[in-house]
Amino acid sequence: MNITRRHLIGLGGGAAALLTMPAIIRAAEPFDIVMQGGKNGGHVWFDPIGLHIQPGDSVRWINMDKGNSHTATAYHPSLFDHPRRMPRNTKPWDSDYLLPGESFVFTFSKPGIYDYYCIPHEAAGMVGRIVVGSARNADWLRSGTGDKGVPEAALNMFPGIDAILGMGRVSIDGTETQQGGAAHAHS
Amino acid sequence: MTSFKILSGLALFCAMTGTAFAHGPADSVAMSPPDAPFQAVSALVPLPDFLPGMGQLFVDPATLPAGPFMAYDHDGALVSTIYMLPLSQLTPDQGFDDLTTSGALVDHVDVVYNAGHPGVEEPHIHVILWHVSPADEERVAQ
Ligand SMILES: [Cu+2]
Repeated sequence: MNITRRHLIGLGGGAAALLTMPAIIRAAEPFDIVMQGGKNGGHVWFDPIGLHIQPGDSVRWINMDKGNSHTATAYHPSLFDHPRRMPRNTKPWDSDYLLPGESFVFTFSKPGIYDYYCIPHEAAGMVGRIVVGSARNADWLRSGTGDKGVPEAALNMFPGIDAILGMGRVSIDGTETQQGGAAHAHS
Repeated sequence: MTSFKILSGLALFCAMTGTAFAHGPADSVAMSPPDAPFQAVSALVPLPDFLPGMGQLFVDPATLPAGPFMAYDHDGALVSTIYMLPLSQLTPDQGFDDLTTSGALVDHVDVVYNAGHPGVEEPHIHVILWHVSPADEERVAQ
């Protein structure tokens, strides 16, 4: 990245050149996923709950909930004894607790389907799914081994792969009318 | 005679300080920070020190998850006593017995669902004994 930037500046482009290079912008700017909660703490959610990115892209989780702390934690046996819901032989991530206004960035290099949860809110269905590149490396999804011990409320919330690939990002209605039911997508 | 002196002394104290409580909270919890064994929730778990809608919370860790949690406004005055009751523990064979109180007069009560937060990391019910009027809940709104 540093080499690319120096190279561009060497060409006399500077910031202006960066702005006209979509590939560079993509690498530099993470995709944002907001952690949010309703006014009285009854509802909590990730927005978008489903996201499609490419290998090399980064995701930034930001806690915008003034009254709560949240985590973005990969489903992986090395983290809090959870099942693996991400590609084999790939490094998992855990943001640890983010206080209001705090954020965490993780870069995805390997294609596949990655599910994650918020530690204090998994039982309330606060989970998300990221598809990196194509929908390869989903052995855990086909075999169903990733479901063991995952709360029903969480299993009900993961958006479908087709919806994520079709729309790029899937949001849920996390407001007062949504009562832990199936996620419904809107663009 | 002695008890009369104490009572009249208390009445004089209340008149001097303008205390309006029919039953005041125990001295140990009347103002923030309350005495030990209460500790700031924000010191025990990763949460903001002041929670919008609730205030600055303190709890005796030995009483988790139920509490009581003592909640204070920005001036350090007790506004509510809160109990946090996990849905998973409200069963035919479980429940919560003999929860202590702050001793403060209860103006009204809220019972609300909470999805969870550090400290009580599962869906639970907040039972909030407000020691101020509904209008005065504004003191901890932000
Ligand atoms: Cu959360």
